[in-house]
Parts: sequence; C-alpha cells; structure tokens
Amino acid sequence: MMASDPPVVSTPALAVWRSRSIGLLLLVAALAFLPPLLLASLWLKVLTGVAIYTLTAAAIALLYRRLGLVSLAHVALMGAGGWVGLRLAYGLGTPFEVNMLAGGIAAAGLGMVFAYPALRMRGLYLALVTLMIAGAFAIIVNVLQFPNGGGGWSGFAVKSAGYMPRPAIATSDVGYYAYCVVVTALGMALIHWHEIGKAGRAWALIRRSEAAAMSSGVDVPFYKVWAFALSGFLAGIAGVLLAGNLQMLDARSFPAAESVMIFALTIVGGAWNPVGALIAAALYRLVPALLNDFGVNGDAAYIIFGAALIHALATAPRGIAGQLEDLASRLFGRSNGGNTR
Amino acid sequence: MIEIDAVTVSFGGVTALNTLTVQLDAPVVGIIGPNGAGKTTFLNVLSGFVRPNSGRIHAFGRELTGMQPHQRAQWGLRRSFQKEQAVDELTVEDNVRVVLDSLPLSRDVVEDALTGALEFTGISAIRRRSVAGLNAFERRMTELARCVAGSPKLILLDEPGAGFSQSEVATLRSVINGIAETIGARTFLIDHDVDLIQATCQRTIVLDFGSLVTYGETASVLADPKVRAVYLGMEET
Repeated sequence: MMASDPPVVSTPALAVWRSRSIGLLLLVAALAFLPPLLLASLWLKVLTGVAIYTLTAAAIALLYRRLGLVSLAHVALMGAGGWVGLRLAYGLGTPFEVNMLAGGIAAAGLGMVFAYPALRMRGLYLALVTLMIAGAFAIIVNVLQFPNGGGGWSGFAVKSAGYMPRPAIATSDVGYYAYCVVVTALGMALIHWHEIGKAGRAWALIRRSEAAAMSSGVDVPFYKVWAFALSGFLAGIAGVLLAGNLQMLDARSFPAAESVMIFALTIVGGAWNPVGALIAAALYRLVPALLNDFGVNGDAAYIIFGAALIHALATAPRGIAGQLEDLASRLFGRSNGGNTR
Repeated sequence: MIEIDAVTVSFGGVTALNTLTVQLDAPVVGIIGPNGAGKTTFLNVLSGFVRPNSGRIHAFGRELTGMQPHQRAQWGLRRSFQKEQAVDELTVEDNVRVVLDSLPLSRDVVEDALTGALEFTGISAIRRRSVAGLNAFERRMTELARCVAGSPKLILLDEPGAGFSQSEVATLRSVINGIAETIGARTFLIDHDVDLIQATCQRTIVLDFGSLVTYGETASVLADPKVRAVYLGMEET
C-alpha cells in the first residue's frame, strides 16, 4: 500500500474477511460432512433441502439488502431453473454441472426480465408485479409440467419415465448433500465477492439514493438489472439442485404462495447476515419436518412463521441473525463495526 | 466556459426557470436568490435530473442537454446535495471510490486519485472508517471528496455550509477555494451564507422567480440595490 497511509483506525473489512475465511471453510466442511454421520437418510434429504433453500434465501436477501427490492418470485425462478436443468438432463444427457449452469443462466435471463418493472417501481407495486409473475409461472408449469423423461418438446410423460441423474461425483444421498452444501457456499461466496467490489459499492449508493448514485456516475438501470440477474442465477441453480435432490420436480410444489413464504422467512432469518439465509431455510424446510416428526401437522409451522414475522418487523429489523450478532457482541464485548442497521 | 442558452423549465403551471441565458466563466460562481428562486432547479437541470422544456447547455464545448445524469458524471460533472448523501454502510474511501469505479482508469491511477481526493478534503485519517460512525461535517467532507475525485470539470455544491459551525465553514471555505487550483474544476455554489459566497465566489448570479436578476462580480452584485430589493423584499413595500 501507499507510504502516506495513516495508521489504521479500524480493521479493514478485507482483513477481517481473510481471517474469517479459514473459519468459514472449516464451517462449510463441517456442515457438509458431519450431519451424514449422525442422521438417517430421511433427515439427510430434509437437510439437503435446507442447504438448497439457503441459496435461494441468500439470493432474495441480496436484492432486499442491497437495493431494498422485494421479490416474491424466487420460487418461480427456482422452478424455471429446474425446468431447464431437467429438460437438458433428459433431452441431451449433459452432465449435471452443465445442466446446473444452464438452469442458472436461464433463471438469470428471467430475472433480468423481472428487473424491467423494478427500474420504475419499488416497494408494494414491485412486490405485486413479482407476485403476479410467480402466479403466472405456477399456471404455466401446471399446464406444461416438468420434464420427466417423456418425449416431445416439453419432455413430460404421464407415467414417469425416469429420474434425473445426479452429478457423477455425488450420486448417493450423503454425497449429494455435501455437493449441495458446497455449491451453496460457492454461491454465497459469489454474492460476497460482488458485494465487496464495484457492484457492491454501486448497489450501496443506489439504495441510499438513486439521485446520488447517478450523479456519482453509477449506471443505475445496469446495476439493478445485474443484481436481478445474479439473484436469478443463484435461484436457478438452487432449482436444479432441488431437481437433483428429489430426482424430479412436481409442478404442484411451485405455487406463488411459496415465494411469499420464503421471502417472509428471509426477513425473519435476517437479510443482513449470511447466517440469516441459513436460518430462513432451516425454518422453511426443517421446522415443518420436525413438527411432523413430533406428531403435529407440519402446517402448524405457518402459525409460528406468522408470529416470527410480526416479531421480526416489530423488534428485530435485522432478523434472528441480527439478534444473534448483537448477542455475540454483547457476550464477547466486541464492537460490531458501527453497523447500527 | 459554461453556456446556458434560453433554458426554460416549468412544472405544471409553475415556471421554475424562465428563458435563463447566461455564460458562466469564473472559477467559482455563486448562485443566490430567495427560496423558490429556481437555484436547485438550475443545478438539477445541469446535472440532468430535470429535462428543460427548451434551451441548451454547453460546457467546455460539449453539449450536455441530451446526456443522462450518470453520463454527465462520467464526463466530469459532480454534485453534492442539500442533504448529504454519504452511504453509512461503506467506508469513507469506498464512498469516494464509487465515482472512480465508473471511469476507465487503471488501478494505480484510481489509488492515487482516491488518496488525492481524501487528502484534499482533509479526511485521509478516517479513510478506513465506516461512515455510520462519522459526524455531520465528516460526512459532508466525504461527499465533497466524492465530488473532487477523478479530475472533474464542473462541481455543483448545493448549500454545503448549511448547519455547520464557524470553524467548520472556515475549513469548507478553504477547500472550495482550493478546487480551481488543485483540482482544476469550475465550481457552482448555492448558499444562503453571504459571507461564504463573498469569500469564495469571484462572480455571482442572482435568480428570482426563475429569472436572471443579475450576473457579475460578487462584490458589485451584492451591493446592487436590485439584489437587495430581491432579498429584502423592498419592492413590495
């Protein structure tokens, strides 16, 4: 660095990130390899779902945190990515990674289309537009159905003709779980890499004020579209991972209400912290399964989610993850770097 | 030389700028006038937020009228806002770096420009601090550093001195006075603080009801009975 640098007053964000990165790697490894040793295969499938929805929640949180945009269409984006992934898997027999990238790119393209209303709208109106898109997707996919090995353009046969192959290196449930954890971690690293760079600075200014962003030379429409494309890309990848988990997708499991639910849980979990996405996904996939296991109807989870959302809006704007962060800084007496949000 | 040629802006039935024609050529030009005179509208037209109904703007031989706000910024037009727009969640240097991100500069040039802007505004000691923990004056200087970074051509400052103590305004004054020489940019300054206008602006333009009252040497403009009438409302008695 430069000789004229003043003494460092506070720790630069990058150095914190470096010292944390080894810990993060260990955490990802532990998440990927420990649970299979402890759990039966049913629970492993649930945890795989948690890993996949963590990526979706992180993608939603990115739009909310960086641009203040509410997207209620992310489950539809997952579905679109999953559709493309399945279509390629059956139609061309391409490797899983190729299908995943193609699903991600297709959903990114769709996300860029969603971004069009976002250039002019915010808040409630944008949320309504995205909700309508999610509703439209639910109808289209109910007519079209997900490819399941059938013939023709849509690849759907009434009697399922096969299962989607998993990646060659992770065909077992245990292997596939670890695969999903690693892909989700890479996806979140991609978000982080964007946030500490040019795009993150531009997004931060846009969120502060579009006028200030424009007069600082930021091409506001470009960066908004970019954020939607990145968010859609990750949701699309999550959709293909989901298809690989169940080795098929059911059109009935993509109603618009699911998009609303995962958005609400992202707020409850906390959009300002990566852990928030994990909490959101755990609430979404794990809590209903646990309730079922206790002999309670899994739908009872919705009551808990409703209460949690009210709690988050009233007392914890940074979500459960924000509260945990505050608790940790209180316990260890650490400053949270002036982050008062 | 910045040429404003018959610029008219109306919002519904209100004419915010009325065929304003003026050629501004001093290093620092003051813009004064009572509330609602069209000062901020004038800056908004220059920075591209408001499209004039008619008229043209040329700056240093370049026609600005059709350019988008971010294109004007990349060309070299910067502005500060009445309410400062520093971003809490970024560090001071990242707040400034944003403006350099959009310019086609090499990494070394960016670092030099960043250091230069932070030193010029006197905030290099806090460059790694998060803006959330700064006081109002440090936030204002962060915004000002964003305005001077990356060799701008024209800087628009909308009431930068409002709400600061005398010593803070004195610091601000010396920074504004240094812009022409150190940064090499022209500055347009809106402020209600006549002392600040007198101490920094070689020439001053006076607006009232969207029309040009007068433009000339600051001292003679401020002594002009017409200007005093506009400010003190004597014509109405």
